[in-house]
Amino acid sequence: MLQYLRRNTSLVVGIVLLGILVVFMVVGAFTVDTSNVQPLSVPVLQPPSWDYPFGTDRQGRDLLAVMVAGTPLTLWIGFVAGFIGVGVGAVLAFTAAYYGGMVDTLIRSIADIGLTIPGLLVLIIIAVSLKGSLTVNQMAIVVASLAWLNPTRTIRSQVLTLRERGYVEIARLNGMSGPEIIARELMPNLLPYLAATLVSSVSAAILASVGLEVLGLGPVEAPTLGMTLYWVFFNAAIINGWWWWWTAPLVVIVMVFLGLFFLTVGLDEIANPRLRRIA
Amino acid sequence: MNSSSPPLAQGNSGTVLRVEGLRVAYEHARGVVRAVDDVSFSLRPHERFGLAGESGSGKSTMALAILRMIKPPGHIDGGEVWLEDIALSTLTHDAIRRLRLAGVAMVPQGSMNSLNPVARIRDQIADAIADHGGNLSRRDLAARIRSLLGQVGLPPEIAEKYPHELSGGMKQRACIAIAICLRPKVIIADEPTSALDVVVQRQVMETLGRVQADLGAAVILVGHDMGLMAQFVDRLGIMYAGRLVEVAPIRDIITAPRHPYTRLLIDSLPSLEHKGGLRGIPGLAPLLRDLPPGCAFHPRCPRAEARCRDTKPAVRPMGPDATVACHLA
Amino acid sequence: MTPLIELRDVTKTFSGGTLGRERKVALERFSFAIDPDRPRVTAVVGESGSGKTTLARLLLGLLRPTEGEVRFDGRNLQRLSSAGRRDFRHRVQAIFQDPYEVYNPFYRVDHVLTTPVHKFRLARSAAEGRAQIEAALHAVGLQPDEILGRYPHQLSGGQRQRIMVARALLLRPRLIVADEPVSMVDASLRATILGSLRKLHEELGISILYITHDLATAYQVADTILVMYRAAVAEAGDVEAVVKSPQHPYTQLLVGSIPRVSTVRDWAVEQPQAEREISAAGCKFADRCPVAMARCLTSAPPLFQTAPHRAAACFLYENAPALPEGKVATVLVPA
Repeated sequence: MLQYLRRNTSLVVGIVLLGILVVFMVVGAFTVDTSNVQPLSVPVLQPPSWDYPFGTDRQGRDLLAVMVAGTPLTLWIGFVAGFIGVGVGAVLAFTAAYYGGMVDTLIRSIADIGLTIPGLLVLIIIAVSLKGSLTVNQMAIVVASLAWLNPTRTIRSQVLTLRERGYVEIARLNGMSGPEIIARELMPNLLPYLAATLVSSVSAAILASVGLEVLGLGPVEAPTLGMTLYWVFFNAAIINGWWWWWTAPLVVIVMVFLGLFFLTVGLDEIANPRLRRIA
Repeated sequence: MNSSSPPLAQGNSGTVLRVEGLRVAYEHARGVVRAVDDVSFSLRPHERFGLAGESGSGKSTMALAILRMIKPPGHIDGGEVWLEDIALSTLTHDAIRRLRLAGVAMVPQGSMNSLNPVARIRDQIADAIADHGGNLSRRDLAARIRSLLGQVGLPPEIAEKYPHELSGGMKQRACIAIAICLRPKVIIADEPTSALDVVVQRQVMETLGRVQADLGAAVILVGHDMGLMAQFVDRLGIMYAGRLVEVAPIRDIITAPRHPYTRLLIDSLPSLEHKGGLRGIPGLAPLLRDLPPGCAFHPRCPRAEARCRDTKPAVRPMGPDATVACHLA
Repeated sequence: MTPLIELRDVTKTFSGGTLGRERKVALERFSFAIDPDRPRVTAVVGESGSGKTTLARLLLGLLRPTEGEVRFDGRNLQRLSSAGRRDFRHRVQAIFQDPYEVYNPFYRVDHVLTTPVHKFRLARSAAEGRAQIEAALHAVGLQPDEILGRYPHQLSGGQRQRIMVARALLLRPRLIVADEPVSMVDASLRATILGSLRKLHEELGISILYITHDLATAYQVADTILVMYRAAVAEAGDVEAVVKSPQHPYTQLLVGSIPRVSTVRDWAVEQPQAEREISAAGCKFADRCPVAMARCLTSAPPLFQTAPHRAAACFLYENAPALPEGKVATVLVPA
């Protein structure tokens, strides 16, 4: 196992990066006073100091507390949306690929049409039409509404390659029904691939949510990473030279994406043995 | 690995190819695997030599080793191959490349996989010629391609076609055309007909035989179909677990096989003469990385004795054209 | 007598190409029946494109006929109830060509044996199931402790194929459709596996449909034979008669093209024939036939019953009575 990890550097890098974030969140939750996430808790616009390691923003929020509280929220949105996306996508994909015919044509057409519409545009329209301010969970649902499109297509093509295998025919000769074959014969062989798809789906969901938040269409009261950046732009922090305000969320966002990216590459290598480098 | 005496001193009068003590090894996580273990045989001009064995016997590795096409983690561990008077291990990388196709050509297994699906047949033949130093004018090249296709019994229009437009037998004959384009002295055919129907197989083998006669070349036919060997080759070598356990003229192998494995192999073939019940060889072929001590065949041999378990039998000559590796022969 | 399974006037066409315009007829107006009371080993021999694999898949319900019907126990396969389907799956089983593909790499090889025990309720307890599995493995010459608990990639092709025979044995079907069961297995193991199949027939009265391109093994294993050429039957009957004195020119070509292990070099080469244009209704072999007559180009011969135990679809035998449509099974009797 360890031997394999040594060869699969991407997987290791991904796990390490995400691990650092997890440690940060967990340790922070215990050591940092998260009530300072509320505006007017602390003096405004302090550069990083011993009291406030990440500095404070214009509304009087301790940025370290914001990061500690906000990172898990952003990740939560990503995970929920990613899971729903892959969950719904997998069900649709297996159904379409196994049954073929009209079912396949229907599902595939909907997914294809959905994919050609610019996703961000749809999300903006949805977010704008929702009355009142969003909660974090509602944000996750909004992003999830489109997250299933890509997984449906990619998982479907993987299932198509498996559908004609000899063991599927033997399963039919055993009297297994369609759903049974999908669950017991096809699904287990796709677990590594599903894991890789899940990670990339989470990544895409986080990107979408941050994008919406930066435009001000997210859960305005929550200290998520994207909303923090929104306030950065709203207050022209870059021009005003309050560099600490945008550095912290940027670094965290970069770490999240790089971590998820390397994790995806690492999982891809497990899922597709042909990509494995010979020792 | 290099022969200690200079190549020309090995006056190989009468043989076009000589393999001596060839060894091929693979490094495996659990040790070294000998895919080819000390194999020696020689090939006369115009001769048809068969190399028979089942999967895991090392026969395909032998063929690749002669052409020096063993890829890492495998490597040639010892022994020498002489093409007429040239010792192949003394050649540079470039010289070997030129020798492949011009000296020793290969018709590979599975014609479907070895032809480039996006190139026309004429381009594939032209590439082969150009790649190995042939420098012909366009008109000469076209004439040569037409002549090659004719030699393998394909009409000239095939030159313009893509592989997917040809049947299995035609593809295999196109591969033969590529193999003979530089008039090699030795043609190695590795299971050339395994994917083909029996009627087409006959046509392809007939083509191979005719082409060989026209060129005056020698042929090494690698395969596992003893019937095919019986009808095509002059001498047959039987491989088991990486060793050449018997070599003899084909008539002798059929009428009086010396090695028990040869005998069992011939007996296990279903005959079309009478329904006699099917006989197999009990047990399994050994994994090359886990060979039994002594003679590799002894666990399955009906005549095994104590010495078969203890000592590996050496290859002994049995006349001018025959060898056998068995304590009991 | 209701046949166990029968094909009634079945045609199977595959369409492909752009806009489904290319149509390939895999099987044409084919009728065939398996007698439930007289189990036999029947070989179906043909080259690629003859329709033999399509025949197998139609019998197994893996393909639907384009025209005609496939019936199990007198009832149309497409219209069976779920209990009927379960019965069908229990009574008609298969062994496929590729011993690698039929194993799901995610599971140990036990999975292919335990799944049918479970799905067809062959045992009342786990211990009984295990006992049945071990008995089946013994019957095909395998040691359970060397096999159970292993993953497919840890076993050889021959072992894997024998496990498939053991699986068929567990189910005690009435018919086993064996589609090229030994072509991907080493020569020395073929006899063992075919021997197990033959034993299944002799000891348990199971009918076997042995589909292959290898006439020699077909001769050794089967009692009766069906020779197929391009979607139709060329010759049928007792295997000894058909192989020793083939009547149809295609069978003669087939038998002659097989290289024999003998010091006599009598390997026959097909002689190329003059270019001939066959009409759609003509005999499919007419363009290669060394004895083709003018009428062969325009009409296809029916099967003529040249003896009680054999028939050939060739105008050379037009003096013999023509077999009625769909009655090829009547000649599939040993001499």
